[in-house]
Amino acid sequence: MYWLSKNRYKAGLLLPTLLIYSTFIILPIAIAIYYSLTKYSGIGQPRFTGMKNYIRLFQDPLFWTSFKNTMIIFVLAFVLLLTLSFFIALLLNQKLKAVDFSKALIFSPAIIAPIIVGIIWVYILDPNIGILNNILDAIGADALKLKWIGGKSLSPYSIAIIYFWQQLGYLVTIFIAGLKMIPGDVLEAVKIDGASAVQEIRYVTIPMMRTTISTVAVLIITGVFKVFEIVQQTTGGGPNHLSETLVTYSYSQTFASGDYGYGMSLATVTFILSLIITAVYTTLTREKEE
Amino acid sequence: MKSKYVKRILSAVIASALSMGLIAGCGSKSQEAEKDESGATVIKLGIHVANPKEQEPVTNSIVEAFNKANEGKYKVEFEAADTETHSKNMKLKAEDGTLPQIFWIEGSEASEYSEAGVLMDLTEFLEENSDIKTALDGMEEAFKDDDGQYGLPYQCNVQGIFYNKELFDNANVDYPTDETTYEEFIDMIKKLKDSGVTPLAIGSKNSAYAMWEFNEFLERYGWGDAIAQILDGKEKYNNKEFLKCFEALQGLKEAQAFPENMATIEYFDAKQLFDEGKAAMFGTGQWDCAEFDENIGDKIGFWWGPRFTDTDQNQDVVMKVPSAPIGVSAATAEDEELKEGVYEFLKFYYGEEAAKISYEGSIFPATNYEGVAASDTQYSMNAMLAALSNGWDSPKAAPDLTVPSSVQEALYDGIFGVLQGNYEPAEALDNMDATAANSQ
Repeated sequence: MYWLSKNRYKAGLLLPTLLIYSTFIILPIAIAIYYSLTKYSGIGQPRFTGMKNYIRLFQDPLFWTSFKNTMIIFVLAFVLLLTLSFFIALLLNQKLKAVDFSKALIFSPAIIAPIIVGIIWVYILDPNIGILNNILDAIGADALKLKWIGGKSLSPYSIAIIYFWQQLGYLVTIFIAGLKMIPGDVLEAVKIDGASAVQEIRYVTIPMMRTTISTVAVLIITGVFKVFEIVQQTTGGGPNHLSETLVTYSYSQTFASGDYGYGMSLATVTFILSLIITAVYTTLTREKEE
Repeated sequence: MKSKYVKRILSAVIASALSMGLIAGCGSKSQEAEKDESGATVIKLGIHVANPKEQEPVTNSIVEAFNKANEGKYKVEFEAADTETHSKNMKLKAEDGTLPQIFWIEGSEASEYSEAGVLMDLTEFLEENSDIKTALDGMEEAFKDDDGQYGLPYQCNVQGIFYNKELFDNANVDYPTDETTYEEFIDMIKKLKDSGVTPLAIGSKNSAYAMWEFNEFLERYGWGDAIAQILDGKEKYNNKEFLKCFEALQGLKEAQAFPENMATIEYFDAKQLFDEGKAAMFGTGQWDCAEFDENIGDKIGFWWGPRFTDTDQNQDVVMKVPSAPIGVSAATAEDEELKEGVYEFLKFYYGEEAAKISYEGSIFPATNYEGVAASDTQYSMNAMLAALSNGWDSPKAAPDLTVPSSVQEALYDGIFGVLQGNYEPAEALDNMDATAANSQ
């Protein structure tokens, strides 16, 4: 009799995954951290400069602009996505008319490539050719015609809305799957006990959905730190880097300016930041659970 | 309890690692030089467009002509990718020693490749082919350093402002000439704006490089004379002359010369505005000639840009400069057969037949051969040739190609920042100085 639960078998089964993970995730991160400590143009040999890139980073106003933009997108996306996707999932979990059609409609943006999402929204938000300003123009609401993208301030808010639109269906689907896991007899018992709909959600659904909510929250956090194509397609990070996020600014410094060392220091800080936010969130929610 | 914390930290690390994986990047190997089925030596040519047949038809035709003339002996094959991807790929390939034998190099990165020792010195090639050296007529000088001739110009770039004569006529505005001043230019912009067209089409989204008309501005404020001192750290970008230049750019913004949505349109969108007759002027180079012939025909005009009266710098300059170079990988020199094939291709590429192909495709080749010229129906190219007939001097290189890539990016950022009102002129120049200091 062979027991697969023996430690050496466990190790053997884990090894291929561990190797692939180390090679394609851990190693590139280690390399990126190493480059962040160098002056490197991508050609020739990197020159070790210690913490110089990090000192420069904290003095760089564009880093703070991209940090601020990322945080705007994060806060908006987190609040809107977590709450609305949950409530839409509750709604779509009911036996209503056209519920399947609604599910398909809400999920449809999630199957569009992010680059196409960007193009679609350019035609909506562009201050000159965009549908939004043209509608506002047509109804005489000239005062509301704004530079939704391409101006000095509104771009990160617009990007957050686009990201929300793109991600909503995907997260709603996860929530619906979570709702389906709640045992029917529990919900039935709650109803027999005379709980209102609000009480049912507050005292039964949400507590029983905690793991799903945590998963969705982590997906939003990591997703926000990867928003790239939408920014590139709608504003290209411009004008003058004013709508950059941490990821696009890192990309721009690395590849457009050819400053690999500095670009990698930005990437490392982005990594640490998403690490901290994820850790704080998981710690807080676990403590509540316990 | 402790293991729970470890798990939490691990899960956070994994989640963040997924974010960082996006940025960390990875590389890829490419083919080594090889023989094809006919036994011909394959020469790889790395080019900065994804579809050479559509996007670089002249180069594609030259390669096809070379392959036909050398059937069974040599065969040039493209390694094609869009400019940004190409640039990244070449850096990665330089790292792992798999560069194609010949490749297009982003102008501001050429000297860095040379310093890294990955380029072959082409001095011997030029010495062996003195007719080509004569035909290049000094164009190769821009790609020479202490280590030798590290590159040769891919093409000759003639840059300036194309204008639509019909829109000028409609607005009752005189066509610009070599004598038109900046003040007259501003007046021209206002009249064109009043006529209902965009005076000067430009787009900044993902197109910061599309500032060719402003190279002339920079040169007329003494860029060529000052840049060596600045690169040596003896002078600053924020100097009296450049400040005036950037103030002139600010004047264009104040005159509302550009499309209102210049921040959200790209170079190609801006060009479309010009093609469709919605914009009166468009700054670009000879690579767009064929498109303008098709869309605007004989109503096209070409102008170098305004003269500036607030400076003593030479105003009689034109922007006929070598484009970004092509380089040959240093590894090519190690294989005699391959080196011979590369030399054969370069001889063809810079020869008279290729020059004829270039002119037919409305592209100025890097070389000059007597009797090779544009046809009567190549209106845009003829407009450029007419402008060139003033015999004025050209700088050794376009201003934006004389600085390292990080400073080049800051220059583009500064120009577009001033044009869009996001930077004051001095602020834009200070940013360039700061970037230069950081790049040391």
